[in-house]
Amino acid sequence: MSVDNKIAKAASLLLQSPPGEVDDVFNDIRGIVNDDGALQEHIEPVLAESNMQQFLIVDVPERQSKVLITPYNKVGETQYLDPRTRTVFTFDHLHRIGSEAQEAEETEDPTNLSLQEALQKELDKYILAHYGAGVGNVFFDEGRMITCIVSNRFSPTNFWNGSWRAVWSYDPITGELNGSAKVRVHYFEDGNVQLDTQTDFAVDVTKELDDDITARRVVKFIRNYEADFQQSIGDGYRQLAEKTFKGLRRTLPVTRTKMDWEKIANYKIGGELANAEN
Amino acid sequence: MADYDENEQQMDCALDLMRRLPPQSVEENLVTLLEALPELTEDLLSAVDQPLKVRQDSAEGKEYLVCDYNRDGDSYRSPWSNAYDPPLADGSLPSDRLRKLEVAANEAFNTYKELYYEGGVSSVYLWDMDDSFAGVVLIKKVNDGTVRSKGSWDSIHVIEVLEKGRQARYKLTSTVMLYTVASGAKGDRQSEINLSGSLTRQDERDLPVGDAGAHVANIGHMVEDMEFKMRNALQEVYFGKTHDIVNGLRSATDLSEAKNRERMQRDLFGQLKSRKE
Repeated sequence: MSVDNKIAKAASLLLQSPPGEVDDVFNDIRGIVNDDGALQEHIEPVLAESNMQQFLIVDVPERQSKVLITPYNKVGETQYLDPRTRTVFTFDHLHRIGSEAQEAEETEDPTNLSLQEALQKELDKYILAHYGAGVGNVFFDEGRMITCIVSNRFSPTNFWNGSWRAVWSYDPITGELNGSAKVRVHYFEDGNVQLDTQTDFAVDVTKELDDDITARRVVKFIRNYEADFQQSIGDGYRQLAEKTFKGLRRTLPVTRTKMDWEKIANYKIGGELANAEN
Repeated sequence: MADYDENEQQMDCALDLMRRLPPQSVEENLVTLLEALPELTEDLLSAVDQPLKVRQDSAEGKEYLVCDYNRDGDSYRSPWSNAYDPPLADGSLPSDRLRKLEVAANEAFNTYKELYYEGGVSSVYLWDMDDSFAGVVLIKKVNDGTVRSKGSWDSIHVIEVLEKGRQARYKLTSTVMLYTVASGAKGDRQSEINLSGSLTRQDERDLPVGDAGAHVANIGHMVEDMEFKMRNALQEVYFGKTHDIVNGLRSATDLSEAKNRERMQRDLFGQLKSRKE
């Protein structure tokens, strides 16, 4: 296999990394490819894609602010915008460090900016209420308000990692609000068990003259949909535990006693073997 | 580490990778690894567990399970007819003594499978080792269930047997692959939940072997006890642990309300206390 082909294959594996384990998967790929030069040359765009896919939470350099790395706030080849502090900074996807912070040039329409700020304010309240360690950002991208939420819990010493990720897109002109939420959990003590679940939503929310009212309504829909999703995950768990799992293997046979191996071995098997050996 | 062999490093990394990547894609990802590491094909195929496949033994009219342990080249041996499909003139076969034990074990585990799984397919394969033997007990059950959910259970029990006179040491390594999928709909919103993977456990016992038939009973007891334990572990990990993790990612109740309540209670308590003083 050519090196390029190998890297392309490696990329497809890296993008499947469970939450919080990109470094481990990267190290494995590094060991398999066994060609650091070629890997380093080709891997940066893959890491960029992976970081954006996972909504990596990063510290904005020289500012007291955290921001998500997503496709919606990518403003240059390696530059990202933090809308809270209106800062643009360069991000190194390999080392995951931001640098060269500078004030963002204001190109956004002030009316959009006002709605964006109102949404961020409501989102912050929502995150505080339902995500202990979550981070949320409202970005303005291609005419739409993009709300990204990520909540991670990484506990590799206890052999588990999990991530809740949601992205919501609101079009202030048409009033269309659509989005999707995705949850992944990896449990890996003497095994590899993964939960993968996703859902999509769409609804219309007319933009009001008062941005605060619009923002409250939009975030209320987001809150309700995500609550519904969490509940449907619980329903799914019950269905799988009570129907699917029980239908696969019984705890004990119908007789409620374990199998009588000696009886079978002595009368049937023992006899046959004894005959065979004679 | 100068003598850390390149292939060894690649193998370690490949296995670590398979322990991290989604079990839902184990087959595709294994193909990718085989393409990247063709020189490790045999090692990877025997070290990475894949969902078991069912084949039909047309001579015996019975289904059997195929895995790396009954494979020779591109052919698989049936535990019922002992024949390879496609036919192999010089396919490796167990010795006569071991084949007798294999036939007996297949019958016993077929009964076991009916008692616990009420369906499904089982296969036992044994192979000779120097002064001893090893084997694998395979069980697969698929539950197509309802439209809303389906699941499959694959047991792979690898046993190494060391015979020492009228005693034998049994080393058991068991993997259960459990795949479950449910789809839910609330109003016009669809969601799918896929909860899948595998757990591995080990056990080791020294047991008396009165006659050759005792091997089947000894292995039977060990597998039965192990599956009992693993079923409990699967239930706990799948439906308890991972669900708790989800509910730790997002709180269903309003955390700020809970904090407010706590603060109010503290204030109230403080007031009551100061009133008493």
